[in-house]
Amino acid sequence: MNDGLLALVGFHLRERRRSPLAWGLPLGAMSAFIVAIYPSVQGALTKVVAQYPEGLKQAFGIGELSNAEQYLHGEMLSLIVPLAVGYLAARAVAADLSGAAESGRLEVLLSAPVTRRSICLGAFLAAAVEIAAVLLLTLLLSLIGSALAGAGLDLGDAVAGFAAVWPLALVGGGLAIVVSGFSLKTSVVTGVVAGFLVAMYVVDLMGKLDESLSGIRYASVFRYYGNAIEDGIEPFGFLGLLALAAVLALIGAVFFERRDLAV
Amino acid sequence: MSAAAIEAERLSKVYPGGHGIAELTMTVAAGEVFGFLGPNGAGKTTTIRTLLDLIHPTGGSARLLGLDSRRDSLAIRGRVGNLPGDFGFGRDTTGREALALLARIRGARTERAGELAERFRADLDRPLGELSRGNRQKVGLILAAFHRPELLILDEPTGGLDPMMQEEFLTLVGEERGRGATVFLSSHELDEVERICDRVGIVRDGALVAVERVPELLGRARRKVSVRLADHGGLEDLRRIPGVSDLTSADGAVSFRFAGDLDPVVKALAVHRVADLEVARPTLEEVFLGYYQGGEERS
Repeated sequence: MNDGLLALVGFHLRERRRSPLAWGLPLGAMSAFIVAIYPSVQGALTKVVAQYPEGLKQAFGIGELSNAEQYLHGEMLSLIVPLAVGYLAARAVAADLSGAAESGRLEVLLSAPVTRRSICLGAFLAAAVEIAAVLLLTLLLSLIGSALAGAGLDLGDAVAGFAAVWPLALVGGGLAIVVSGFSLKTSVVTGVVAGFLVAMYVVDLMGKLDESLSGIRYASVFRYYGNAIEDGIEPFGFLGLLALAAVLALIGAVFFERRDLAV
Repeated sequence: MSAAAIEAERLSKVYPGGHGIAELTMTVAAGEVFGFLGPNGAGKTTTIRTLLDLIHPTGGSARLLGLDSRRDSLAIRGRVGNLPGDFGFGRDTTGREALALLARIRGARTERAGELAERFRADLDRPLGELSRGNRQKVGLILAAFHRPELLILDEPTGGLDPMMQEEFLTLVGEERGRGATVFLSSHELDEVERICDRVGIVRDGALVAVERVPELLGRARRKVSVRLADHGGLEDLRRIPGVSDLTSADGAVSFRFAGDLDPVVKALAVHRVADLEVARPTLEEVFLGYYQGGEERS
């Protein structure tokens, strides 16, 4: 990694140093609360869930709810955390590309000897670190909530569950670079990525709800994200999403190199 | 090495909306201070961005410091300093943070930035979002010049600067020229252009309509002359002088517009008793008007 790229990553991380707290604390507090109340609602939930239609349980990842991991997946890791962190990845990338174009920074940076590819790569790497920090904080707070309430959240399972979100969120970051190749408006970049993530979730959900549509799940990134807190990290899905994120970032960098830098 | 710092050959940028620059051809010599003038929307910023490969030309080519503006863009940017028209770097970023990043990317030392900050009384430690436009502009100037570039490109550099800082800026440009750097600046300030530029290019609707040395530029401008003649005569003498127009007279007060060498006017007035004489400096708009009207007449 060259010095210019390192400098860009360091600059981006310093500039967004409050983000892990701003996003990790609320997500972590919510996760900790979910885990902490699990022991007290466990019995009632089991009875309620038993009455849910099978398709609905499958669609929303609601299992037997016989442990805190299942409850945390159903309440947080199946939708809220991936969507929130995927959106954050798009925001982080957009801040360094479209946001930098809007503030005038991009013009100053690109008047210096740095390639557009380095700027895209710097934005992507900084987003990867930022997301990892948010997920780590969320994981830590969840474990603290479990320890305080005696919920018995397994460390290894919890690590797997939150780690699996990372490549999925990076797909959002990679897509943000692609969109930045066409639009330097932050609202457009984050809007497209948020819409993409929701659409992916809906596609996966439809495949789960209707057996005849199960094939469409292969087109959704949520199919490869899976349910790592219960099933463990699936290497193919994890590495596949990571590869997709990297490919999107590279394709985005090519588009970004070709575009004019005027907002 | 080429003697020209900037060479543009039929450089064009056509936007889908229709504006941009059209077949712009010009040469800026190494070591020259070149003013690039034109009203808003004439194509000054588009030209600068195209030269720096921030936007890609739709036709023609440009060479900066002897290198192709597209193929060798990275190498060029290592030797150039650029102050964009509306400088910004992010609301929460301080000048020092921006400087540290650019110094690392350029592999340059920051000592000169400290000297410039002292001269321009720039605050490098406050977030840029808390600074006034003028104070932000000072930081932008420092970021453009701290690494002693061979070519300085400055888009409206004195916007927001107070008169004292404008004076300091003119001194700085003189020093840059003194060490052999080329300065390419767009401006709206005729005073500024007159004092520091060797030559001036005038751009209109994306086309370069003239490149002149500054005295020739001012000579072409239609100045407003007001004279009070005690003997109430001289009108016909003045009317016959080439370049005199819009001549009006009332109670011995004569006013007219004049383009060219003032000598025949002074000589025509010298045979009368002149009670008062005022020659107003042309505004930049009047300078443009001289060229634009000339262009319309020619076309």
